[in-house]
Amino acid sequence: MSMIHMSNIHKYFGKLHVLKGVSLEVNKGEIISIIGPSGSGKSTLLRCMNQLEKIDQGIVEIEGIVVEASGAMEAKIAATPQEVRATYRKMGMVFQSFNLFPHMTALGNVIEAPMLVNKVAKDDAVKNAEKQLAKVGLLEKKDAFPSKLSGGQKQRVAIARALAMNPDIMLFDEPTSALDPELIGEVLSVIKNLAQEHMTMLIVTHEMGFAKEISDRVIFMDDGKILEDSSPMDFFENPRHPRIKTFLEKML
Amino acid sequence: MDHMEYVLSILPFIASGLKLTAKIYIATLIFALPVGLLAAIGKVKGPKIITRILYLYTWIWRGTPLLLQLFFMFYGLPIIGIRLSPFAAAAITYTLNSGAYLTEIFRGGIESIDKGQYEAAKALGMTYPQTMRRIIIPQTVRRVLPPTCSEAVNLVKETALLAVIGMPDLLRIATQIFTRDFNITPFIVAFVLYLIISSVLVKLFGTLERKYSIYE
Repeated sequence: MSMIHMSNIHKYFGKLHVLKGVSLEVNKGEIISIIGPSGSGKSTLLRCMNQLEKIDQGIVEIEGIVVEASGAMEAKIAATPQEVRATYRKMGMVFQSFNLFPHMTALGNVIEAPMLVNKVAKDDAVKNAEKQLAKVGLLEKKDAFPSKLSGGQKQRVAIARALAMNPDIMLFDEPTSALDPELIGEVLSVIKNLAQEHMTMLIVTHEMGFAKEISDRVIFMDDGKILEDSSPMDFFENPRHPRIKTFLEKML
Repeated sequence: MDHMEYVLSILPFIASGLKLTAKIYIATLIFALPVGLLAAIGKVKGPKIITRILYLYTWIWRGTPLLLQLFFMFYGLPIIGIRLSPFAAAAITYTLNSGAYLTEIFRGGIESIDKGQYEAAKALGMTYPQTMRRIIIPQTVRRVLPPTCSEAVNLVKETALLAVIGMPDLLRIATQIFTRDFNITPFIVAFVLYLIISSVLVKLFGTLERKYSIYE
């Protein structure tokens, strides 16, 4: 089943052409790593999936529902705005800079959206939040404010916060790039656990070993285009494109 | 007459002036805070026409003397046929003036919140009003408390301009007693009272600041 279908996506920041006709198909349960040099459009591609960036051209379909389309294809948006909003809610996102709500405790961060957006009763929200915090190994920190947590702990709370909305798809935008090296492992292991539950995931990352180990597919982006979309085996063992070879040599 | 006895004898008059000062002050705060908050949100997010109007509003009200604004409201409006009670005219002037300063304070506060907060809220499915109410404004409150405290203290002192347009506020009553008795004691009493009010406000805001700082 197709979870995400993107076709011919173009995105400009002013005059800068960031995505140059990107097409992508993501199936249920797939784990996809998106790698590439900085400025290649990886994060932008991810952000175009959940409306953090508006596409300038192309079509975005989430779980079979056209949520965004431009130009002549705009007519394809058949869903009501409510349905589109509900569809976006099936995607959780984790950011490089965590973006926890600093004025709420770890638990407060996790129960906020289920109560506010999904109108879940507080008792149920707390119960589910505690389950999610336990999953990321931070139940004992539930009453701590983000300022009292380490970077790795913040990111794990952020993952629990996204999971509390029961997403079908998780988007990770460089989840470990802002972390001290010794804290990267704890976040990656939480993501690995999710992989074992067959969560559909897209992960923009610079962690090559992690990408190789966890991914079903590796996508390499350069200059706003997808240069390669292949299995991790093919990608890391025999990269076809010379750009990928030089990139990997620099990274490894 | 013994000095203390004299102070006690003028206190009832002073109290009537203090009452007017307090009424104007409280009315201004009650209206200026929401004016400032709504105008700040309008300036940050509103359509172009709204931001233009709000720009004009803060530009004029922050860019001209408060005393002149009071003159316009008291002597200007009646000329074009708008008759307000002195209290209403004063309360509206102070509200619009203070509201303009608060608009800029709150706008600065809202704009200082990292855009990642909006993105996280949006990714969690929150609407813009939900995001403002639950995520942005609570964080803004903490940041705008110190400048809002300054504005609140300024406003106490600015109420003394009521005396110039002939309203019997604390300062005007003190002046009247001074001209009647030719004794500066009423000025000293007024001086102390202004200082007490400002100090209470600073203390109050200090408490609020601590309360909102627990997460830092």
